Amino acid sequence: MTTLLTPRTESDERIEPVSVKKPRRTGRWILFGAMIVVAVVMLYPFWVMIITSLQSENQFLSGGGFSWLSWSSLTSVIPIGQEVLSSTIVCSASIFIILCVGLPAGFAFSKLRFRASTGVFLIMVSAMMVPLQAILMPEFVNVTKLGLTGGYFGAILVYAALGTPFSVFLFTTYFRGVPDELIEAGIVDGLGYFGVTWRLILPIAVPAIATVTVLQFVQIWDDLLVGLLFISNTSERPITVGLAVLAAGRTTSIPELMAGSIISALPAMLVYLGFQRYLVKGLTMGIDR
Amino acid sequence: MSTVPTTTIVSSTSAPTFAPKTRRMTLKRRRQLAGVVFALPAIALVVAFIGIPIGQAVYYSFTQWNGATSTWIGTSTWTQAFHNTNLWTALRNNGLLLLSVPFALALPLGIAVLLHQRVAGWRIFRSIYFMPTAISWVVLGLVAERFFAYQGTLNSIIHALGFSHFSTNMLGYQSEALIALGITFVFTMIGTNTMLFLTGLATLDPSLEEAARIDGAGRWRIFRSITLPHLSRFIQLAFVMTVIALFSALFSLIFVMTGGGPGYATTTMEFLIYETGFNQGDFGTAALYGLILFVITGIVGVVQLRLIGSNE
Repeated sequence: MTTLLTPRTESDERIEPVSVKKPRRTGRWILFGAMIVVAVVMLYPFWVMIITSLQSENQFLSGGGFSWLSWSSLTSVIPIGQEVLSSTIVCSASIFIILCVGLPAGFAFSKLRFRASTGVFLIMVSAMMVPLQAILMPEFVNVTKLGLTGGYFGAILVYAALGTPFSVFLFTTYFRGVPDELIEAGIVDGLGYFGVTWRLILPIAVPAIATVTVLQFVQIWDDLLVGLLFISNTSERPITVGLAVLAAGRTTSIPELMAGSIISALPAMLVYLGFQRYLVKGLTMGIDR
Repeated sequence: MSTVPTTTIVSSTSAPTFAPKTRRMTLKRRRQLAGVVFALPAIALVVAFIGIPIGQAVYYSFTQWNGATSTWIGTSTWTQAFHNTNLWTALRNNGLLLLSVPFALALPLGIAVLLHQRVAGWRIFRSIYFMPTAISWVVLGLVAERFFAYQGTLNSIIHALGFSHFSTNMLGYQSEALIALGITFVFTMIGTNTMLFLTGLATLDPSLEEAARIDGAGRWRIFRSITLPHLSRFIQLAFVMTVIALFSALFSLIFVMTGGGPGYATTTMEFLIYETGFNQGDFGTAALYGLILFVITGIVGVVQLRLIGSNE
């Protein structure tokens, strides 16, 4: 578990190539060819989105041509600015809550163990496995009764609750690698537990915070179900929901939908490419030794 | 942890003669108190939004419920539900989609091994392979819909290959729509699973392969006898994650690609819950379907917990 404290993938990459046997020349070209083929398949969605968005509806239907029309008319069809703003608000607020409850809980479960803390932790981890669909009906009715299904608040709370078990798990596992002496020293110095959390634990936890943030950002930004059901005001719809509803309606022109898709995909992709390392860590949490 | 109360009692009785020890014990209690206070917000949030709804789902599955008023009708919701063909169709669809899981594992495994050969530019290829994983399944569903459409890429490929009289419209036919959904699902899982396997391969000790090679083992033999066993935990984890995704993450794809149709041909359990609850307004039955989904993912989840737990 302490592996989290060191950037392991980087070092692995450096060690490996030395000892991996160089394939023979023809073999190398075959390998390279295979990788190109896979790359073409994986890039296909981007190619479709870009090419299609650069056509007008008529050009799209007739199957050729080039036009900026879909981009220039985009904002009149999809309230893209508003939707991106909504996504940003929902994402940041949910992640903020997830971090605020997850980090102290992880600290508690790893270092401030109380009676039954192991059992509570296990229940918490099991909650990771509960898909929202399984509890969708009661959840929806509860949040509706609280009067929170209009704007952002209901969705933010549901996202926060769904993301919390994983963040607790990740923080707990991460903090197990922190030496007890550090915390004891802080207490002896009179920092108190809040002081220790704020001054000692928080700075150490930056990589774990980054992992949780990146994973949750991609997940919440890309999610449909919660945004669709728990935000009923169309003016506060996140971008993913906006696109899905238009697509399911089958009345919006495909080129404009694709242009909107590109805009919706950009933030998550930038985060993804920029913080790939943290994603890999979060994904293989608990299994890589 | 279970020794906590006894030590507290001991300390309070022997306190007068042993001042430093008392201080340590109160420190321990203070630490535990801090632990409870720190863990409480997370516990409260999870109990309120995950724990309580599970209980409610059990209760409401015995009622006639439209969201506002519920009347207890006992087990008749259950008998009605099990006589409902939609439930069996959805379960069958989920079952059939399970057939795509081997592909969702084998293809990423192949790609990961490919990347692990570290051909020139493999880092760029790695980034490219992971890129679709960042996109919402809503967007991927949109693209897939274009791929399988009558005037889509699939037919262009078929025609380009010379089969100009042959055209498909997979999403339009009951018998083929599920296959199209399965193919899309495999595509969406490639990035995540490749990433998992690549991480697994990175932890493989190269000297093992080296030793096997010196002993005269061929490539395939090395893969089968060293690489594959080493990856077994990663393959198990990928399997569990893929199955869970199959039961709980297809909603976006279905919503955009088929809306569950034609008919109920692509309605899976999770989509049936949504459809029953929000289109038919039958909250009680939808809650019951949720419970069934809960049990299925629960079984898969126990497997995953054991995988993670076996590490500690």
